[in-house]
Amino acid sequence: MHELSVAQTIVETVVSEAEARPAERVAQIDVDVGELMQLDRRALAAGLRVLLDGSGLKGARVRLHVEGAAFNCRRCDKQWGMAEAKRQLERVPDALRVREPDSREIPLHFLPQLYPAFLRCPGCGSSDVLASRGKEIRVRGVLFA
Amino acid sequence: MRHKTAALGVDAERRLSVIDKVVLVGSGKGGVGKSFVSCGLALALARDSRRVALLDLDIHGASVPSYLGLRPPVSSGTDGLEPKAVGRLKVMSVGLFTGEKAVPMRGAEKQGLITQLFAMTNWGRLDYLVVDLPPSMSDELLTAFGLFAAKSALVLVTTPSPHGMEVVVRMRALAKTEGIPVLGSVVNMAYLQDGAKRSHPFGEADRRLLEESLDSPILAEIPLVQELNSGGLPEVLRRNGAARAFGQLLPKVLRWRPTPAG
Repeated sequence: MHELSVAQTIVETVVSEAEARPAERVAQIDVDVGELMQLDRRALAAGLRVLLDGSGLKGARVRLHVEGAAFNCRRCDKQWGMAEAKRQLERVPDALRVREPDSREIPLHFLPQLYPAFLRCPGCGSSDVLASRGKEIRVRGVLFA
Repeated sequence: MRHKTAALGVDAERRLSVIDKVVLVGSGKGGVGKSFVSCGLALALARDSRRVALLDLDIHGASVPSYLGLRPPVSSGTDGLEPKAVGRLKVMSVGLFTGEKAVPMRGAEKQGLITQLFAMTNWGRLDYLVVDLPPSMSDELLTAFGLFAAKSALVLVTTPSPHGMEVVVRMRALAKTEGIPVLGSVVNMAYLQDGAKRSHPFGEADRRLLEESLDSPILAEIPLVQELNSGGLPEVLRRNGAARAFGQLLPKVLRWRPTPAG
């Protein structure tokens, strides 16, 4: 469900870019999808297709690029990736999971910046961790023709 | 030709476009009752049939959920996260995602989280968004000033203590440099009412000095509420004289109109 909301935001961003260049046609949209949000790429792509078709951007090609998440500990300098983060996120209690109509999602699905509340350094156990990449949705570029 | 787009800032703009006014409730100092005043003001606006929501920006010490008897989880719908409801009042807080968990977070991350929380929440059309600012004058405060600047005004909260008053004077100066209008101040814990007897356990505020120092009026004096730990703030306010004090604050907030240029 959240994927549709994200798609809506992406389309609004592209539409505002397109309005500034009325003589040109949007040919391709490149979107970076941060791995930490654990979005369903298929659902996001489907949502984008429907919304683009309904917003005068029919025919624009969409390319979704998953940006891998990377973490490091500010205490002991250990670095790790999404596999370890997923192991920790599986332990998020059900009581804190956001209720969607058909599922229960971790809060980071909506608020990836909240990761320090849910992740620890697998080396020293510190909470002073940094997600250096893979925590955002970003329109990387819009190709006009 | 490629055209770069730095980030998705559209959602925050879209949300703010259907919110008429943003009342920032702050102090710069902890323990003066910003969350209590934010809740009391938001409930008073809701009782006055205004479309109102309360956004708790105290990331590390969110107390709004506790005051209002709210707990995780949050639900999501087709247009983002659904705020919790207390009667007509809509509420959103980081505490509704983290429960009892600690939220250790540095500056830049807080800035991103605040923007995400505001942008991801389906506030709908609002007459007022009341924002409970955290203590200190760092990232959360500056982010809120930037995010809501054009539609916002500040209500300063202090206690009768001279130390609390010193900090709100600094906060007033910061608001001025950031172009945020100050509606006035609320003196919290101003007195204790016991039947017909009124006492001042924290001393009496120097009203003239406070108004001169802040170059703005005292909007209300709120009594010390001893029953806060018993939960259910709306009911506590009804039983206590605080509801009347918030009733006095209400028309002063309702009179404020943002200037067209912000």
